[in-house]
Amino acid sequence: MAGTRSDWVGDYFMETMAATEFRVHPDAHIVVDGTVCADCTTRQCIVACPANLFVPTTDGGIVFNYEQCFECGTCYLVCNHEGAITWNYPAGGHGVVFRRT
Amino acid sequence: MSDSVDVIVVGAGPAGSCAAIVAARAGLSVVLLERGPFAGSKNMYGGVIYARMLDELIPKWWEQAPIQRWVTRRSTMLLTDTQALTVDFRTDAWGEAPYNGATAYRPDFDNWLAGHAEAAGAQLLTSTTVTGLLRDSAGSNRTGAIVGVRTDRPAGDLRARGVIACDGVNSLLAKEAGLYEHTDAKHFTLGVKETLALPKEVIDERFGVRDREGVDIEIIGGTGMINGGGFVYTNLDTVAVGVVLKLSKLAAQSLRPEQVIAGLKANHAIAPLIEGGEVKEYSAHLIPEAGLEMMPKMTANGMLVAGDAAALCLAAGIWLEGVNFAIASGMYAGETAVDAIRAGDVSARGLAGYQKRMRTTFVLKDHRKLRRAPALVLSDRVQHLYPAMVANVAERMFRVDNPQPKPGLRRIFAQERKRAGVRRRDLIRDAWTGFRSYG
Amino acid sequence: MTVVVCLKWVHDAAQPDDVRFGAMSPADHSALELALQCGEWAHADVTAITVGPAQADHILRDALACGVRRAVRIETSHAVSGADVAAAIAAVVADAHWVWCGDYSIDNGSGSVPAFLAAALAARQALGVIHLSFGDAPTIDAGVIEATRRLDGGRREVLEVRAPAVVSVEGATAHLRRAGLTALRTAAAAAIEVIRIATPTRVDDCVVQQYRPRARELAGPDGVSALARVLSLTGAGGARGAASARRTVVLDPLDAAGRILTELREWGYRT
Repeated sequence: MAGTRSDWVGDYFMETMAATEFRVHPDAHIVVDGTVCADCTTRQCIVACPANLFVPTTDGGIVFNYEQCFECGTCYLVCNHEGAITWNYPAGGHGVVFRRT
Repeated sequence: MSDSVDVIVVGAGPAGSCAAIVAARAGLSVVLLERGPFAGSKNMYGGVIYARMLDELIPKWWEQAPIQRWVTRRSTMLLTDTQALTVDFRTDAWGEAPYNGATAYRPDFDNWLAGHAEAAGAQLLTSTTVTGLLRDSAGSNRTGAIVGVRTDRPAGDLRARGVIACDGVNSLLAKEAGLYEHTDAKHFTLGVKETLALPKEVIDERFGVRDREGVDIEIIGGTGMINGGGFVYTNLDTVAVGVVLKLSKLAAQSLRPEQVIAGLKANHAIAPLIEGGEVKEYSAHLIPEAGLEMMPKMTANGMLVAGDAAALCLAAGIWLEGVNFAIASGMYAGETAVDAIRAGDVSARGLAGYQKRMRTTFVLKDHRKLRRAPALVLSDRVQHLYPAMVANVAERMFRVDNPQPKPGLRRIFAQERKRAGVRRRDLIRDAWTGFRSYG
Repeated sequence: MTVVVCLKWVHDAAQPDDVRFGAMSPADHSALELALQCGEWAHADVTAITVGPAQADHILRDALACGVRRAVRIETSHAVSGADVAAAIAAVVADAHWVWCGDYSIDNGSGSVPAFLAAALAARQALGVIHLSFGDAPTIDAGVIEATRRLDGGRREVLEVRAPAVVSVEGATAHLRRAGLTALRTAAAAAIEVIRIATPTRVDDCVVQQYRPRARELAGPDGVSALARVLSLTGAGGARGAASARRTVVLDPLDAAGRILTELREWGYRT
C-alpha cells in the first residue's frame, strides 16, 4: 500500500472505473482554475477525488478531467482555496449513471 | 400546460418520491424533477434500506419492491490487519414479512418508488437539472419568498406555491436558500464501493444464507489511518464491498480511496468472501455524517428541505440509516406542504408544522438521542486504538498458552489497555458517552 | 410538404425490457435535429416514426418534446429485417417529401433501412451525410439541400438533393436541441399513434450447430478378401466421393437459400 502515484492508478482501478457508465456532456460541469491551484500546498483534491480526476501538472498547476466524475462533491469540500473549483451538476440526463449501487 | 403547479419536488430519490406521493394523493398538482436520466441513476448508499415507513404509503410494499435480499444476518466486525472480532446475529424473523432491512440497488428501488409517485398523479420529469430558485419579486434576491425553480432547459422556469428540496447531500438549493450556515469537510464522509459479481450459489455458500436471505457486515477498522469504516453486503448475484472515509482525514493521509478499498479487500477476514468477484460497478457518494451537528434550517418561505439535503442521515456505528429518514422526512414535508397550501400560508411560519412532525417522531428523536454517537464512532480512539485492544484481549483470552496457567481476564484487559496506549480516564469517558447515547 | 424522421429504440443487451437503459443512437439524435431544422425550413410539421415495442414510446416522447408534431409507432409481431422495417414505414408515410434517418444504430445496425426506404418510397437517397446546408426557402416541391457524404479514402461527395428524398446522417452531423420544460411536460401526456402490422416471415429461422453426422445403418461389406472388404468400407482407391460430388446448380436466391438449408440438414449441421 505504498503511496507512490504509479500505485494509485493501477490497472485494476482503470478497470473499475471502466465498469461504470458515464454519459458525457460536451461541456465540463466542474471548472478548476489552475492559476489558483498554483500556490496551493495541500492539494487535497488530488488524493481525495474518488475518481482520481485531479492531475498535477509539471508546471505546478492542476488539470481536472470532468468526464468520469461521480458528481459527489468531495473536491469542493476539501478544497481550501476560494474560487479554485466552480462546482455544478452536469446538464440534465448527463454524467454518471449507476445501475448496481 | 400551465406554467405553475402546486408543488415542485426537486430530486426523485426516496425523500422526493415520498413527498410527491403524499402531495399528489392529496389532490395537488405536483411536478417531480430529476436530473438523472431516470430516478435513482445518481444514487448510491452503504447498503441497507429499512422501509417500514412505507407501510402507510404502499401497503405490503415488500411484495413489489425491487429488493435484492432481506437481511437476516447482521454482523459487526472489529478489524485489524491480522485479527477480526465479529458479533454475528441471525434471525428467521427478518426473513419474513414485514421484514427488517433489505439490500437493493438504488437505481431499481428509487425508480420503483418514483413510479408510485407517477401513479399517484405527480409528473416526473427526468434529465432536468434544477439550477436555482425563483424568488418573489417583492423581496430581494436573497430574502424574497421562494416561488419556483429554474431548470437547465430552454424556457425552464417553473413556478409553484411550494418547493420541496430533496436534492441530496450537496443540496445546492438549501445552500442557495441560506439554510446552511456553513458547510465543512469535517461533517462529511465519502463512501466508495465496488459491486462484485459472483454466482448466487457461491454467495449463498460463502455467507451461509439461502434464497432471498442476505448479510450485512459493518466493519470498524480496516481503513488504515483514515477514520471511517467498511462494509460488505450481499445482493442476489453481487457482493458490495466498500469503505466510508472521513473527508478531513482522507486528504491528510495521502492514501487514495481505491487503495483503502484494496486494503480492505486484501484483509484475510474479507478476501475469502469476495474472491473471484468481477467488478461490475464502482461508485462514490458523500454522506452527511455529522447528524444533528450539521443540520440546516429545514424551512424557508415557500420551501421545505428533506432527506440527505437536510443532513438526515444517521451514522451511529451500530445503526447506519438514511433511506428511512429520507422516506419519513419526505412524507412529512409532503403533508406539511399540503396543509400549508390548503391553509393558504406557505411562509416559513406556515410550514413550521414540518419541524414539529420531525421532532415528535423518530426522525429527530433518534438524531437527538444519538447526537454524540457520530463523533464518538469516528474518534481517533474508537478508530485506531480500541479495535486492536479488543482484538488482542480476545486473542489472549482464547489462546491456550500451556504450560503457562491462564491469566485472569482483568489482567489481560489491563495489560492490553496499557499496550494500546489507552488512558483509563479516556476509556471511561468514551464508555460513558456510548452509554448515554446508546443506552 | 411532409417531413419524417425515423428513430430506432435501441435496448440494452443485458436488460432488453428495461426502458431505463434504452435510448436512440447518436445518429438518430442528429437526424431528429436535422428533421426539425428541415421542418422549419420547409414550414412543415415533422412526424417521428419508429418500429418497435411499447418501450420505444420513450424515444418518441423525447422527439415530441423536441418539437415533432406527430409520433407513430409501428408494432410488429416478431423481429423483422431491415427491408420489412422500411416497407412498414413506407406504407405509413408514403407521401413523405423528406425522410431523415440516422446512418447506423449503435446495436450493430447495418444501416440498410434508409436505402430500403428510398427504394420503397421511390425517393432519392443521400446516405451517410456528414454536412448539410439548406438552400433557399422551398416551394411545395422545389427546394434543394446540399449534402456532403463521406467516401472511402477521405474523399467527399457533394450532392444536391431534391424531394422526395431519404437522407441518413452521422451522429456528429448535428447536435440535438434540448427540449423546453413546457414541451417536455406536454409530451409526457401526448398520444402516440400505434399501428399494428403483421409481417410475413420470409426467412427460415435456422440454427447451425456443430458437425454431428447422422447415424447410418451400414450393410456388411462385400468382398472375398479382407483387402476388398476394407476397400469397399472406406471407398479407398476406388469409386470414392460419389456422395460428396460437387454439384453446381443455378437457382433464384430464395430457392438457393432453401437448397443450402436442405443440404446442411443432410450433412448433419442442422436438425
